[in-house]
Amino acid sequence: MSAEARALRSSRRAALPWRLLVLALGLAAALAAPHVFTGLAAQHLLVMVAINVILVVSLDILVGGAGLISLGHAAFMGVGAYTSALLVKGGWAFPAGLLAAALAAAAAGLVVGVPALRLKGHYFSVVTFIVGIIATILMTNLVDLTRGPMGLPGIPFVTLRLFGWEHTFRSIVFKTGFYYLALVFALLTLLVRWRLSRSRFGRSLAAIRGDENLAESVGIPTYRVKLTAFVVAAAFAGLAGSLYAHYTAFISPDSFTFVHSFDLFVMNLVGGAGTFLGPIVGPAFLTLLGNALRELSPALSHVIYGALLIAVIVVLPDGIVGGAKRALRAARQRGGGP
Amino acid sequence: METVVQLVLNALHSSSLYALVALGLTLVLGVLDIADFAQGALYMVGAYVAFFATSAFGLSFFLALPLAMVVASLLAVTNYVAVYRPLRRFSGATTFIAALGLLLILQNLALLAFGADFRLVRNPFPGVRISVLGATWTGYQAFLAGSMVALVALVYLFLRRTPLGKALRAVSQNRKGALVVGLDPFRVEVAAFALAGALAGAAGTLASAVNAFDPSIAAIVVIKAFAIVIFGGMGSVPGAIVGALIVGLAENLTGGLLSTQYAELTAFVLMIAVLLARPRGLFGAQEAKL
Repeated sequence: MSAEARALRSSRRAALPWRLLVLALGLAAALAAPHVFTGLAAQHLLVMVAINVILVVSLDILVGGAGLISLGHAAFMGVGAYTSALLVKGGWAFPAGLLAAALAAAAAGLVVGVPALRLKGHYFSVVTFIVGIIATILMTNLVDLTRGPMGLPGIPFVTLRLFGWEHTFRSIVFKTGFYYLALVFALLTLLVRWRLSRSRFGRSLAAIRGDENLAESVGIPTYRVKLTAFVVAAAFAGLAGSLYAHYTAFISPDSFTFVHSFDLFVMNLVGGAGTFLGPIVGPAFLTLLGNALRELSPALSHVIYGALLIAVIVVLPDGIVGGAKRALRAARQRGGGP
Repeated sequence: METVVQLVLNALHSSSLYALVALGLTLVLGVLDIADFAQGALYMVGAYVAFFATSAFGLSFFLALPLAMVVASLLAVTNYVAVYRPLRRFSGATTFIAALGLLLILQNLALLAFGADFRLVRNPFPGVRISVLGATWTGYQAFLAGSMVALVALVYLFLRRTPLGKALRAVSQNRKGALVVGLDPFRVEVAAFALAGALAGAAGTLASAVNAFDPSIAAIVVIKAFAIVIFGGMGSVPGAIVGALIVGLAENLTGGLLSTQYAELTAFVLMIAVLLARPRGLFGAQEAKL
């Protein structure tokens, strides 16, 4: 092994206890949170943070992993939400509805990805953005299916049945139980993302992000890899959508507009695209900030979101986590040696 | 026969508006490779300037039009100098996101300033009716179509006959080559934005007398116009015009014959069809954009 590789490995090993500590603390905080913040409004925010984490982690597969800036992600959430809501209302069990939601969203991801990935760079982003709009139009106009702008009320709460044991998460009033459910899925999504980034597939994505033509020239089937990533990301968004639907018991096309897609992207970028903690920090920070701003004035909150986005692009393109990592590395180098 | 003619005339109405916005978008795309979604805000500004100029200041509609164009043009150049130019070292996707951020900011500032009420400018040709091949054209629709033709003709002459226009085409065809022959990119870029702003502002003003508007039209119009630009070919002037005409026609035919709900989707369906069959668009150049 070369000297550089040995040094890298040893520095990674040295960082390991710190990383585990951060993760353990984070997990403890996440588990304790609903008992510290017991107000209904605060617990609602916790649930939304968990759901947003699932969404942003899935978005980051595309943005941070492959360098594909997808701006219609909320549409896949909507597909999942409506699929699950309609099926469970029709008598399906929640786990089946959840799975169907993920599959439906994945199918939608395929339908969108096939034409969209024909374009590269920002042309791809423009098309995903437009597709998000199309999805909203469809959700609004397919009134026989979705009840259009009137929305879909009376979505059953999550009910889990296992060998005679049954529990319903009546999440309008009792949010703690649902929070833990959402947390489980958030951790699952993080696990999948982590395994993905360490896999051969993840390395192919990184190669595409670095230089797509070069990746193609060394034999990576870029179109197929990108499409797979797109479908997987969509599936997790659908999963989040299903959770959301059974949490709030009411959905409408207004919950899945391009503004939401944009918000997710801002969360991803502000947290730090391509990092592990970024898609956790981003949604946590911005869900809380967004809520505080919206109390002030919804229009103003969007003005600030837009300004924040531009500011982050210029000043802190790696996001909070990326910037923190850079600062830590710089500090370590200054302290360490020449 | 009459219904078809009527549909075509109605189509010219929407086509004209789309054509103007699409033209501005495609010019900026060609010269700077920027997906300037903030132009939707310029369209919105054009409409609001016309509204306040005619109602609060009692200006004639025909004076409000050039005024709105100037205001929108200045705003466009400001956007370029204040936001896009400082970000030009970043990737195109980053600039696109900044454009969306800008659109969001401007649309919501308008919401804060003007409120969400729908506005409508008074029709300067009330009650005028023209009969064309058995179908009826209102005076204002005729004026709208005429203005579109006039503006497009002016843009065409500008691009073909003036030195600045030729420089614009040169930069959009081959930026490095244009630099090599000594063209000043900054002047050309400012000109592109100013022109795009004027066109979007004009479209907004022209629309303000027929379509009731609120700040949300900024996003609605620019998204559809962009789908048209992709359909017609990014960076192509004839693509924008022809694309707008085709989409306007298809939209009105769908609305008239099928259902108005799905008419909204026509532009997007055509965009997706083009992406599957011919990604560079109808008139798009065969280039590394794809």
